[in-house]
Amino acid sequence: MKCNFNFAALLVILMLNIVFTQKMVHQYYFENYVTAMIYCVLNLVLFPVAILIYKQDQKKA
Amino acid sequence: MTHKNNKIPFNEDNYTHNINRNNERKLDRRGFMKTLVGAAGVFAVSSLPWGGVAAKELMGLGNKEYPHKKIVDIKSIPVGHSVDFKFPGEHDDAILIRLTETKYVAYQNACTHLRCPVFWEKEKGEMLCPCHHGKFDVETGAPTAGPPRRPLPEIEVIVEKDAVYAVKVKRYEV
Repeated sequence: MKCNFNFAALLVILMLNIVFTQKMVHQYYFENYVTAMIYCVLNLVLFPVAILIYKQDQKKA
Repeated sequence: MTHKNNKIPFNEDNYTHNINRNNERKLDRRGFMKTLVGAAGVFAVSSLPWGGVAAKELMGLGNKEYPHKKIVDIKSIPVGHSVDFKFPGEHDDAILIRLTETKYVAYQNACTHLRCPVFWEKEKGEMLCPCHHGKFDVETGAPTAGPPRRPLPEIEVIVEKDAVYAVKVKRYEV
């Protein structure tokens, strides 16, 4: 039962990645370039968050 | 000396040092988490070009003005009629519609579905793409029926010296 929270968090991040990518591409074609860029930044931010969660999990183990 | 061969030489961060000989290299929890982080990395890298192109569109084309181009003389376009022209490039078909004495609207008339030409239906007062019966609102260019989901790009026009000129292509705003 150790750190299952981290595991779930990573799965949630993967889910958000998929959602944000979908939104980004659609907003790009809808010519809402600002919105597309916001989703792009969100996607980029998720990566370091995922790394942080992974490192944290490593420490606990 | 006895324990020398009995310990893990260094702290490896991989999923092979807890080998269970019955099913060695089985993907364990940590290994799967690593894969998830990798996937997040792939998503991040692959979204970069989209952000880049979006930023380019915002900065480069945002307020792009083309040389004013004469479309038609006022005399030769009665109220309710339309005329086709090219703007801004030679291959960008566009349509000018005179709605009232003073009101003109112009759109790039490639349908936003599959780029068929859009026509002005004077009797029905709507813009129709005959390919798949996409319809557009003549006041705003917004799609009202059929497959298209995005509005037609609007062209800003001015009236000067009894003629109509195309000035620039407006950006789509929600």
